[in-house]
Amino acid sequence: MIAILAVAGVTVGTLGLGALGIRLARTTSDLLVASRAVTPWWNAAAISGEYLSAASFLGIAGLEMQNGTTALWQSLGFTAGYLALLLFVAAPLRRFGSYTIPDFAEARLRSPRLRGLVSVGVLLIAGFYLVPQLKGAGLTLGVVTGAPYFVGVLAVGLVVAINVALGGMRGITYVQAFQFWLKVFAIAVPACLLLIHLGGLPARAALFGDRLPSAGPHGLVVRLGSPQPVTFPASTPYAITPLRGGAAHAFRAAAGARVTLPAGLLRLPAGAAVPVATGTQALRGSEWATPVGGSGERSPVFVYSLLIATFLGTMGLPHILVRFYTNPDGPAARRTTVRVLGLLGVFYLFPGVYGALGRALTPQLYITGSTDTVVLRLPQAAWPGTVGNVLGAITAAGAFAAFLSTSSGLLVSISGTISHDVWPRLARASANTSTVRRRRFRTAAALGMVAPIVVAFFAQGIDIGLLVGWAFALAASTFCPLFLLGIWWPGLTARGAAVGMVAGGVVATAGILIGIALAEPTGLAGALLAQPALVSVPIAFVAMIAVSLRSTEHFVPDAEMLALHAPEGLDLPDLGVRDPFVLGPRAAG
Amino acid sequence: MALEPPADSRTPRDELADTTAHGLLYLRRLRQRQLTLSILALVAFGALVGVLPLAIDLLPALRRIHLLGVPVAIWLVVVPASPVFLALAILYTRRADTLDEDFRELVRRR
Repeated sequence: MIAILAVAGVTVGTLGLGALGIRLARTTSDLLVASRAVTPWWNAAAISGEYLSAASFLGIAGLEMQNGTTALWQSLGFTAGYLALLLFVAAPLRRFGSYTIPDFAEARLRSPRLRGLVSVGVLLIAGFYLVPQLKGAGLTLGVVTGAPYFVGVLAVGLVVAINVALGGMRGITYVQAFQFWLKVFAIAVPACLLLIHLGGLPARAALFGDRLPSAGPHGLVVRLGSPQPVTFPASTPYAITPLRGGAAHAFRAAAGARVTLPAGLLRLPAGAAVPVATGTQALRGSEWATPVGGSGERSPVFVYSLLIATFLGTMGLPHILVRFYTNPDGPAARRTTVRVLGLLGVFYLFPGVYGALGRALTPQLYITGSTDTVVLRLPQAAWPGTVGNVLGAITAAGAFAAFLSTSSGLLVSISGTISHDVWPRLARASANTSTVRRRRFRTAAALGMVAPIVVAFFAQGIDIGLLVGWAFALAASTFCPLFLLGIWWPGLTARGAAVGMVAGGVVATAGILIGIALAEPTGLAGALLAQPALVSVPIAFVAMIAVSLRSTEHFVPDAEMLALHAPEGLDLPDLGVRDPFVLGPRAAG
Repeated sequence: MALEPPADSRTPRDELADTTAHGLLYLRRLRQRQLTLSILALVAFGALVGVLPLAIDLLPALRRIHLLGVPVAIWLVVVPASPVFLALAILYTRRADTLDEDFRELVRRR
C-alpha cells in the first residue's frame, strides 16, 4: 500500500513538474533545447537523472546477484563514458551548434544523405533503449501491486508521452533533475539502513566462501505460481504442497538434477542449497566474488569489451548528447560534464549492496530467475515489518523515477528526430512555420511511444541487460567513431563515415544475434559474441579512416573546424552549422 | 589587395574570421594542443583505471585479502574509480580552459 502511494507520488510529481514546464515552453526552441539557459548544476543533475535507467537502478544489482561481481564493472563503465565525452566531444560539439546527431553529421560532412542514415541509427538505438525501460516498469508495478505486466508498460508509456508532448525539454530538465536526487535517495538510504540493521554483510560463506546460495536457518518456503524448470546444484531434499491444499509430497534431488517443479508451495530445509532456474548457473561464493578471472563472461576479454562499449557508447546515446546543447557554451559543457562525473560516482556506490544482500537474504529469486527484482524485494525480506515496507516503497519509487526519466529523454530524441529529420522529408511541400514544427514535435512524441510499447508487450522474456548492452555496443560502433573522427580529423568524408557506421553496426548486431542463436557459447568467442564492442569498434574506426583516405571528395572543412574548435569570445562570424530553431527557419526540403 | 587594410593592422583574429591559411594555422595548432591534452588524460585514465581488470585477474591476493569483510578486489571495482575520474576531469577542464584562454590572447594581439 505504501509502495503504491510512493509510485503514484513519483508519477504525479513528474506530471506536476512537467506542467510547470508547459507554461515556460513558448517556442519550438524552448521545447527542444530549453533555449540553452540551463545552469551547469541543473543540467548535470538532469543529465545524470536521465542517464540512470532501469539498467542502473535494477539491472546492475540483479546481474550481480545472478552472475557475480563481474556486473559491477558496468557501473564503472557507465560513469567512465562521461570521461570520454568530456575529453573528446563535449565542448567542440556544443560550439558547433548543431542540436541532434543527424544535424552534426549533415553539417560537418556536408551530406544530406548521411543525415538519413544517422537518423535511422538514432531511432534504432533510442527505440531499443526504450523497450527495457518499459519492461522494467511492467515488472516493478507487478511486484508492487500485483498488476499484470502490461499495466505498468502502458502507465509509464502514457505518462512519458503526455509529459514530453506538452512540456518538451524545458519541463523535462527540471523533472530530470528532481528525479536524479530522488534516485540517489532511493538507492542510498535503504542500502545504508539495511546494512546498519543487519550489522554488516550476512551469510558471508555464501558471499565470499565456498558455499552455494542456501536457505536460511528456518528453511525456505517459496510459492510457485506456475511450473518452474530448475537445476539442483547440490543433493537436496525438498517438499511440494499443492496450492489448492492437500498433502505435501517429499522428494530428494540429486546434485545436478534438472527438475520441473510443479506449481505449489516449495519447502527447503534449513541450509539447503537452493535450485536455480534452468539457463542460469549456481555460483559458489568465491566464484561469485571474483570480479574478473576465468572464461566466458568472467574473462578479462569480456570485461574489457564491456568497458569499451560503455566508455565509448555513452557519447553515442542520442538522449544524452541532446542535453549537452542546453549548455550556453563550450566551457559550460565541460563544467556540466565534470559535475555529472561527481554525481554518478555517488549513485554507483550503492547498487552493489543490493546484489550482495540479495544473494544472502532472498535466494528464492534464484529459483524463479527473477533476480532483476532484487532491489524491490530485498527490503521486506531483510527487515520484515513496517520499516521494510517503507524502504521497499522507497526503492519502488526510485525505480519508477528511473523508468520515467530515461524514457522521457529517449522520447525527446525520438520525437526530435521524427519531427525534424523524417517528417520534413516526407512532406516537402507543406509550410515549415514554428507552429507546424511544434505540432509535429507533439504528434511525433505521441506516435514515437507506440512502437516501443508494442515491442515491450512481446519482450517480457527478453533480458533487460541484453537490450541495454546492445544499445551501448551499437552506439560505440557507429556514433562514437563519427564524433571522434568528425571532430578531430579534417580528413573524414561522408562516404567513409557511412561505410564505417554500417560496418560497425552490422558487426556489433551480428555478434549479439549469433551469440543468442548459439545459446551462450563459451570461451573467447563466447565473450566476444556476448559483447562485441572490442571487435566492432576498431572495425568501424578502420573502415571510416580507410574509406575516407581513398575517397575522392575534395572539400577541406576549414569553416567546420573553426566552428568546432575556436574558443568563445572572438566575435567570429557564424561559420558553423546554422541552428534552424534559433537563427531562423530552415528552407523546407 | 587595395581594398584590404594594411597587413600590420590585421590581427590573427581577423585572419581567423576570414579563414585565411594564416588564421587556420593558428587554429590547427590549438586543435592539436587540445587533442594532445585529451589523449594525455586518456592515457592517465588507462594507467589508473584501465589496468584494474588485468591487475585483479593477475593478482589473486587481491581476492583473498579482505578489507572490512569484503575482498579488496571488489572494493577496487566499486570505490576508487569515481574519485579518479573526478580528479582527471577537473585537471583536464582547467587545462583545456587555459589553452582556450591562451589562444584568445594570442589571436587578439597585434
